[in-house]
Amino acid sequence: MNQVAAIALNTFRETIRDRVLTVIVLFALVMIVAGLWLGSISLEQQGRMMKDFGLVAVTVFGVIVAAFIAATLVRKEVEKRTVFVLFSKPVSRAAFVVGKFLGLAATLAAVVGGMGLFLFVLTLLVGGGASGMVLVATALIYLQVLTVVAVVVFFSTVTSAILASMLGLGVFVAGQLSHNVLSLSRVGAGAITEAVSWVVFVVIPNFNAVDVKAAAVGEMTVDWGSVALWAGYLVAYMAVALAAASFVMRRKEF
Amino acid sequence: MSPTSPEAQHLVSLSGVTKTVHVGLRRRPVTILRGVDLAVEHGDVFGLIGPNGAGKTTTVKVLLGLMAPSGGSVDLRLRGLGAVGYLPENPYFYDYLSGREFLSFCARLFGLGAGERKARADRLLRDVGLEAAADVHLRKYSKGMLQRIGIAQALINDPHLVLLDEPMTGLDPIGRLEVKRIIQRLHDEGRTVLFNSHILADVEELCTRIAVMKGGRIVWGGTVAEALTDSPEGLEAFFMRVVGDERPGVSGDERARVPGGEPDEVAGDGQPEVAAGETPS
Repeated sequence: MNQVAAIALNTFRETIRDRVLTVIVLFALVMIVAGLWLGSISLEQQGRMMKDFGLVAVTVFGVIVAAFIAATLVRKEVEKRTVFVLFSKPVSRAAFVVGKFLGLAATLAAVVGGMGLFLFVLTLLVGGGASGMVLVATALIYLQVLTVVAVVVFFSTVTSAILASMLGLGVFVAGQLSHNVLSLSRVGAGAITEAVSWVVFVVIPNFNAVDVKAAAVGEMTVDWGSVALWAGYLVAYMAVALAAASFVMRRKEF
Repeated sequence: MSPTSPEAQHLVSLSGVTKTVHVGLRRRPVTILRGVDLAVEHGDVFGLIGPNGAGKTTTVKVLLGLMAPSGGSVDLRLRGLGAVGYLPENPYFYDYLSGREFLSFCARLFGLGAGERKARADRLLRDVGLEAAADVHLRKYSKGMLQRIGIAQALINDPHLVLLDEPMTGLDPIGRLEVKRIIQRLHDEGRTVLFNSHILADVEELCTRIAVMKGGRIVWGGTVAEALTDSPEGLEAFFMRVVGDERPGVSGDERARVPGGEPDEVAGDGQPEVAAGETPS
């Protein structure tokens, strides 16, 4: 446990000090502020436009940071032999994987949480009334981003950093659409198609089910029971991805 | 000869260790180690030398458990890794950590408390001459400084056995001198050091015993004094005699003049080897 905490803290320090991260976050904040301008040209819709645009910016930049930093960080340690230093000490492969994930989770909590809080304050000051739903939506965006991190950590144990990032982004995009696969399969499809659709639906994380951005801007109500269920599914999904990454690492020879 | 005889007091002993990896999509088998017999005694400064692709780094990795042997046995009496320190070849450390933070991180991996972590980091920074750069980020370190912080991390657990993979590679003369001084001090402190190197002058200067590897086998082992008795002109000449000169025009008879070894062991069987750093599947 001490090793996991040490690796997590080290990963957090290493990533939070990276200037690339600072640049990305600053750009994201500029995009969120740009929502003010969009709001100003939308008649009587300033607050709604700002929240909508801001939450999309939080999602997009959170996922980009997750996909690229997670892949680079894990793969770099393998390719540049830093893992030799770690594994010659009493550090298990699973501790390495979990420590890296938790460190990245802490970094992304700062990044996504910071952006969400910035948006919340902005809506409070100029957006025509803040809504606690902005913070709730940010928390659920964070959950999606963490799932992408777990997926990318897994892929970076088996492939290159750039491919792991791309696959992570691909899973995120597919996860936005996975509920459509199930819907389509029910329109006059056979039993086999429906079964395959179910498999795809389970294997690709259903991010859409925990997306409450529309509710945050007042466009719909939320079935919280369903959100909680799907949030639990994402947590389980992360656990499986990390277990798979640990398994691959344990079998890996350096 | 010691590297092939299972005597007592061996801190490290490899017996008939083989390693075959499978590379590429077709999982082509490539043998890297072909029966390595090696023994390192307590207090040795042991030099493992050989041409590129001889299997030196793989031998160290097998010793550390980073790779599992395909055959043979590995007896590391200090099996609890707490008693072993390791510096890989050309390592990358964390760019955005300071030297002090990095050492503290390594100490924490051994479960040391905050006070002990600080004390050891301070002592090692002083020992490797990096006190002044203790709070500078590692990305601003020179190669020599990185090598010294690498040695410091290998010593953070106060190990009995220190394994250094090419510790002098890429260093300028001052950097080499600093690393040599550190190795000499480790020896004076009674630690056992095993290192790989291509720089034979350093091996001659530092080592008490050496083993020469070629084609995945140990083809010669003994003390530096024995090697110099064989080749009074120096270790470089001895090395060339043992491993042979594979340049075009050098005869097989010349290559086969091996003190204490079978000629066919030295010549090898011409199978491809996995170069250092190539990832086996």
